[in-house]
Amino acid sequence: MGIDGLILLDNTGRSIIQSGFRSTSPAYPLLHIEAVNNAVAKATQPGDVDPVVYVSAYSIGDTPSACCHVQCTDVRILCPISGNVDPLFGFAFLQTFIEILREYFGPLSAATLKDNFDVVYQLLEETLDSGGHPLTTSPNALRDIVLPPSLFNKLLSVAGANINATINSGSGLGSGPFSSPIPWRKAGLKYTSNEVYFDMVEELKAIVNRNGVPLSSSVLGKIEANSRLSGTPDCLLSFTNSSVLVDCAFHPCVRLSRWARGKTFSFVPPDGKFILAEYRYSPTGSSSGSANASPLKDNIPIPFVIKSNVELLDHGGSFDITFTSRLNGRSLENIIVEFNLGSGASGIKCIAARGTGGLGRGGVSSMNAGLGGNSGASWAFDSRRRVLKWEINNAPPSSSWNLQGSFSTPSIAPRPSHALQVQFDIQSYTFSSLKVEQLKITGETYKPYKGIRGRAIGNVEWRW
Amino acid sequence: MQTDDLEQKKLVYLYLMNYAKTQPELVILAVNTFVKDTADPNPLVRALAIRTMGCLRAEKIIDYLSDPLRACLEDKDAYVRKTAALCVAKLYDLKPELVIDPDNGFLDMLRNMISDSNPMVVANTVAALTDIHNAAMSQPGASPSDPGYFEITSAILGKLLIALNECSEWGRVAILNALARYVVHDEKESEHICERVVPQFQHVNGSVVLAAVKVIMIHMRGVYREDLLKQLVRKMAPPLVTLLSSPPEVQWVALRNINLLLQKRPEILANEMRVFFCKYNDPLYVKVEKLDIMVRLASENNVDALLSELKEYASEVDVDFVRKSVKAIGQTAVKIDSAAERCVNVLLELIATRVSYVVQEAVVVMKDIFRKYPSTYEGTIPILCSNLDELDEPEAKASLIWIIGEYANTIDNADELLGIFVDTFVEESYPVQLQTLTAVVKLFLKKPDSSQGIVQKVLNTATKDCDSPDVRDRAYIYWRLLSMDPAAAKAVVLAHRPPISIPRTTVPPALLEELLGEVGTLASVYHKPAETFIGKGRIGADAVRKAGDLGEDQFSAQKALQTVVAGQQAENLLDFDDSTSLEGQPSGLAATQVLAQTPAAAGLLAGTSRNPLDDLVSIFGGGGPLAPTTPAVFGGGAFGGMGLASAPPTPAVGQTPTAAQPQQEDLLGLF
Repeated sequence: MGIDGLILLDNTGRSIIQSGFRSTSPAYPLLHIEAVNNAVAKATQPGDVDPVVYVSAYSIGDTPSACCHVQCTDVRILCPISGNVDPLFGFAFLQTFIEILREYFGPLSAATLKDNFDVVYQLLEETLDSGGHPLTTSPNALRDIVLPPSLFNKLLSVAGANINATINSGSGLGSGPFSSPIPWRKAGLKYTSNEVYFDMVEELKAIVNRNGVPLSSSVLGKIEANSRLSGTPDCLLSFTNSSVLVDCAFHPCVRLSRWARGKTFSFVPPDGKFILAEYRYSPTGSSSGSANASPLKDNIPIPFVIKSNVELLDHGGSFDITFTSRLNGRSLENIIVEFNLGSGASGIKCIAARGTGGLGRGGVSSMNAGLGGNSGASWAFDSRRRVLKWEINNAPPSSSWNLQGSFSTPSIAPRPSHALQVQFDIQSYTFSSLKVEQLKITGETYKPYKGIRGRAIGNVEWRW
Repeated sequence: MQTDDLEQKKLVYLYLMNYAKTQPELVILAVNTFVKDTADPNPLVRALAIRTMGCLRAEKIIDYLSDPLRACLEDKDAYVRKTAALCVAKLYDLKPELVIDPDNGFLDMLRNMISDSNPMVVANTVAALTDIHNAAMSQPGASPSDPGYFEITSAILGKLLIALNECSEWGRVAILNALARYVVHDEKESEHICERVVPQFQHVNGSVVLAAVKVIMIHMRGVYREDLLKQLVRKMAPPLVTLLSSPPEVQWVALRNINLLLQKRPEILANEMRVFFCKYNDPLYVKVEKLDIMVRLASENNVDALLSELKEYASEVDVDFVRKSVKAIGQTAVKIDSAAERCVNVLLELIATRVSYVVQEAVVVMKDIFRKYPSTYEGTIPILCSNLDELDEPEAKASLIWIIGEYANTIDNADELLGIFVDTFVEESYPVQLQTLTAVVKLFLKKPDSSQGIVQKVLNTATKDCDSPDVRDRAYIYWRLLSMDPAAAKAVVLAHRPPISIPRTTVPPALLEELLGEVGTLASVYHKPAETFIGKGRIGADAVRKAGDLGEDQFSAQKALQTVVAGQQAENLLDFDDSTSLEGQPSGLAATQVLAQTPAAAGLLAGTSRNPLDDLVSIFGGGGPLAPTTPAVFGGGAFGGMGLASAPPTPAVGQTPTAAQPQQEDLLGLF
């Protein structure tokens, strides 16, 4: 019952590493690997594999099971579950495990996993009990019992020094593992400079119809924190306009009663990086599901306009897309506009240009990509996904950008997607303009350095 | 193994664990070190040793496990205690009698540990006890009324509610699952549980949220205070909406669960249809679920937004998704009467695009709309007929033929149009042949003067050149009817059809209740009761498999019978007693008339391409057991998806076999 184990596959579908399965049949993990690989091979689109694959029983007397799987860079992680458990339980654990791997090794890749077999094995053992119950998954506690790999450790171990002294001596005194009374925070932390940082990251997700009217839009925010504070500090974070935060979800350290009473975050932070809270921004402060919530009133203005003119002809088409920033005072950065041209599209010819100022020439069809000289805009065509990608590095306020081009298809009627996917970043900006009133730290005597900044990202589907 | 380096020790233990699978008898050599390590001064070593011992599946080790395990359960370190608690469940899996034996006292120790001061120990203890309980309950011969090894009393309840707010996300899930099993004594208790569990909605971890939703859905049944109920429903929406901004895999699980929750409480997300709008980049499995939920949430207030959205999807690249969107337009039309005309207009616009698969699907959908609103949209028939040449799929062809047959008297050139199909009769697929046959007979009954020739021709071809027994038999029946008594034929072929409707639920109400109790489990994702896809533990697997097979058999038999009943109603094929049927008083089949009014039968009628005789023949051929079965098993089998053609059965259908039994004999006599 529960989560039976974890299997990490490389991008050819071969197992890199797997946890110890308790099941008697050694075929059990192999069955799951095969089932998932089959499902992946059968899918027409790489992303369209059913996330929960049914795995039939291998022999009489075994029960069938299911396999949750996620793709993460070039690694696919499988989580076989048996019994009537929540697949979300499996997915939640997978997410947590991926976070842990990132915390330990940085960006995840099959190569790093192979380089650190010993640490991954230890992590698997410490995070998942073979009876199907997750064990220690809080990064704070894990770092005490499984040391992250570092050059320093390697050097010391080559030199024969015992660097595991703190763990090995763990007699339950003071700074030993699991001695902390607060499950998410290490005990006895000491920093020479005490710092705490908060990043408010807000993501705008919207669908805009051909007339430029947002059909649905929402801003989901996350407060990412990085705490490097000594002792056991008790933080109180308050906002000047906390009413715009709705549908909040909190890290377990946040005292829910204080939030309900005074709309303030009162917490003893974990050490290191963590997500303090997730929220939805609502200008009117109405929570979803409430009777008076009107989704239209809650619409957030989209910080740009796209005017597109796509003409579909026999065996191809031409397009003329103009992107204009509508943001005041700040520039939109890292803009990526994606346009799926449909199956068989080829022969792309494009010119990417800036509406005002220097002109940049796009490449010609033979190159399949063009770099826009000094204009800061470029385009490329991904022939596997049939996606035309138009990138603008930095669009100052009310600047306008243009992409003109044509494509051809083998079939008479081209069927490009009727939507442009637009991604962008805005530095030091939040849609909610959430303002921190103050951060009070009690329980400790030092004055920490406090840093707060905002960042906005956007993910907009613009239909034409 | 004697090393002081913990990291090395861990890796050696890991090696032993894997080695033990192939060489269990050699592991015994290491047992002394394990036992020694369980008394190590370092709690991490103690915990590691006891955990590893529990994972070694070797009989001989077990004898050495009991004493150290007992010591670890009473360890002063919480980390060791919580590790040891889980080890008891593993021991039960290997040797149940050892754990149950009161002399060993494991169960009593575990029950005492529920009062532990450390919430994580409580959570792991709950998890271990639940595992033992579930394993014991799934033994053959365990009765559901037996309290089992882990009965949750009100004293335990209090402790669980306290621990709930303090332990890790995984511990919360374990405790919430235990709370879901608690049997409440009165309304106050239900309210208390709900109030204490609601804050869990604000946890970042989706599985905690879903487990909390499950507990609330279960214990809401005991809450009667209107204001509290409303409050609970309102608080349920935000966390569900939040789950939709997660990665697609999580979204999918959430959507499947939302789909189920909405069938019971559609008000939860009544104002939130926009969050389900599909993005072009969503994976197909997410889009399909969203589409289903959007139709479920459709109401007069939001139907315009929905329709423009569906029209947008119909121009997308993915063929499957486009078809499903067109289907959804039809479902909206059938669901909301006042929007039907707007839906028809959208469909006509789509037909004008002349994209083959869009047109075909639209024609199929139009047929459903004609069924629901007879004689309302006859103006669209010429447009449909002008697309005749584009249709190449049997279902679309059959649908168009049905429409032509049904409105033969208003279509001037109906005989010409049908003539096209009659000319190619032999090459067509069986569903098309069947529809052509019926449509031509309809035409003949409506316009006897001009269509004498065509009906002769089609009956001739169908009886002589056709290799499908279904088609031949139907042709013979029509022929005989027409030659003996055209009035009877009229009553049979042009009989009034019951209206169709969109089922509010895709699973029967009884099953829905059961599934809602399992929100956030595989059962709720598959929309099937757990027994149909997982065994009751390893020992009972065989029995369950047999039961499963039987269930399948019964299911198909049921379906066949149901179709027979439905077919009766649709065409009254077998009703030869013309005088009574002329007066609209069915004889002999009176019992089935009532049943056919249920949405299930009505839904089956909607599928014109489905041939009742197919299933009829399969009964005679297969002769499977016709034992009635419970609606739960029966409904869970195959009706996962929602569609007009496969409406879910309602419990009323459970009575069908008894009613249908005599008819079947009649049928046998007839042939």
